[in-house]
Amino acid sequence: MANPSNKKTAPKRNAASTTNPLSVWWNQQASAIKFSMERLWFNPVSTWITLAAIAIALSLPTSLHLLLKNMQTLTADKREVPTITLFLKQSVAEQQAKDRAELLSEMPEIDNVRVVTREEALADFRKITGFAQTLETLDENPLPHVLILTPRLSLLGDLEMDVEGLSKKLKAFPEVDDVQIDVEWVQRLRGILRIAERIVLVVSILLGLTVLLVVGNTIRLDIENRKEEIRVTQLIGATNAYIRRPFIYNGIWLGLFGGVLSLVIVHVALLFLVEPVTKLANLYGSTFILSGIDVFMTLKILLASSLLGIIGSWLAVGRYLWQSDDAIKD
Amino acid sequence: MIEFKQVSKKYPTGQLALYNINLTLEAGEMVFITGHSGAGKSTLLKLVAMLERPSKGEVLIGGRSLSKLGRGQIPNYRRRIGFIFQDPHLLYDRSVFDNIALPLRIAGMGQSETRRRVQAALDKVGLTGRETTFPLMLSAGEKQRVGIARAMVNKPTIILADEPTGNLDPELAQDIMFTFAQFNELGATVMIASHDHGLVERMKKRTIVLQKVD
Ligand SMILES: Nc1ncnc2c1ncn2[C@@H]1O[C@H](COP(=O)(O)OP(=O)(O)OP(=O)(O)O)[C@@H](O)[C@H]1O
Ligand SMILES: [Mg+2]
Repeated sequence: MANPSNKKTAPKRNAASTTNPLSVWWNQQASAIKFSMERLWFNPVSTWITLAAIAIALSLPTSLHLLLKNMQTLTADKREVPTITLFLKQSVAEQQAKDRAELLSEMPEIDNVRVVTREEALADFRKITGFAQTLETLDENPLPHVLILTPRLSLLGDLEMDVEGLSKKLKAFPEVDDVQIDVEWVQRLRGILRIAERIVLVVSILLGLTVLLVVGNTIRLDIENRKEEIRVTQLIGATNAYIRRPFIYNGIWLGLFGGVLSLVIVHVALLFLVEPVTKLANLYGSTFILSGIDVFMTLKILLASSLLGIIGSWLAVGRYLWQSDDAIKD
Repeated sequence: MIEFKQVSKKYPTGQLALYNINLTLEAGEMVFITGHSGAGKSTLLKLVAMLERPSKGEVLIGGRSLSKLGRGQIPNYRRRIGFIFQDPHLLYDRSVFDNIALPLRIAGMGQSETRRRVQAALDKVGLTGRETTFPLMLSAGEKQRVGIARAMVNKPTIILADEPTGNLDPELAQDIMFTFAQFNELGATVMIASHDHGLVERMKKRTIVLQKVD
């Protein structure tokens, strides 16, 4: 009748075996969700302490990431794009210079080319006080035509540019006298930013582990407090999955709400920064705007923190069930 | 249905609680286990519910040895058993309702069905209207009855009761015994450990007397 191996012989008295499995599943989830929420709600002090610890741990990598992102957009500002200056030979005529400019702008590495004729250059020089008189003494314009190239190089782009190669290539053109490159600093900065990215990654991993430990320890203490309850439910037929469920939800809530709280912290910090940053940017004549957390990043943070919560609680419950399994064995 | 084959149980402390027990219960039978304190009545019931394992011999349920039951199958097996503990093991941070509903929640039963079943169980043990009370506010007999209601609520096929009427007055004890008898008539196999000789005699069921092993 209660033959454990054969359900068919058992009389249909056990309603759980006659209800459909989907509703069984849902009822179990619902009661675990309700129960875990209540646990959080009725232990406000420990809940808030845990949430604060998680939020602080999460807000540090988030703000570092934002800082980095802002620096990248700052250096990628259009006006700041570095240039390559080609000084053409004196013998080169204006039309030749223009033709060369046309050809250069077809090159994939080059974004655009501007021609500064020697007349324009001279006019510019005249404007600079002190030079005007010097220039009067010359009977001929000593300035060459100049091409100003903007390479396709941005700090955010992943296009790795071989500046040396490009420079050699440009120098090889017959009209070109000299090449002056102003992009090394960008590459250096890009290198620095890349290191900074790595640092942010390492910090994120370490603080992610912290969140894992905080959640794991909170759940471990919770299990410790509810040992008797777990034992009783095991005595009346609770599966490991049933015992695990409310703790997993508990972990999800801690991770999720901790994530939300960390977003609040970062947003407040940003608000605090917006005004002085805008002022500073104005001083530099820049239209730079401090960029915040977008929807995509928000979702990513919440997903990551919930996942950390799940893993943390899973480890804590798993350890307990593993130990109690051993205890029952003897 | 329930079969003990040369079962001995020695606790890790060295205490021999049962020695060479041979016992067969038919499906749908109701038996009483009596014997002096320490004779091993609780141990016998715990072996059936797999709360303890025999040191020698085997316990068969429906012809199948419990030792062959995998770890993952134990919870499922226990759900078909209603165990009434000598000490009721209630959860003190939950109401009477939630305590009794526990086996149903484990089984994933819906709200309305749960409410209906819990009400019926409360009614059977005479605790109607006490749903929202917490166990600490109950008398020993009332706690015992909550334990009984929790064991019965899932309509188990095997009922194991360890001194279920220990803290109850004779009239209530009689009522509870009749409730067990009712379940038995509906097909459940019932094993009751009891000291109360008068009550056991009045029920006119098979009675097994355990001797203390020395
Ligand atoms: N967990 C345990 N560890 C060690 N010894 C135990 C354990 N449980 C019971 N015993 C011993 O096993 C023997 C039988 O105990 P058991 O609880 O089965 O007796 P009982 O017949 O139910 O007694 P009572 O009528 O007092 O409830 C006793 O001598 C007891 O001391
Ligand atoms: Mg006993």
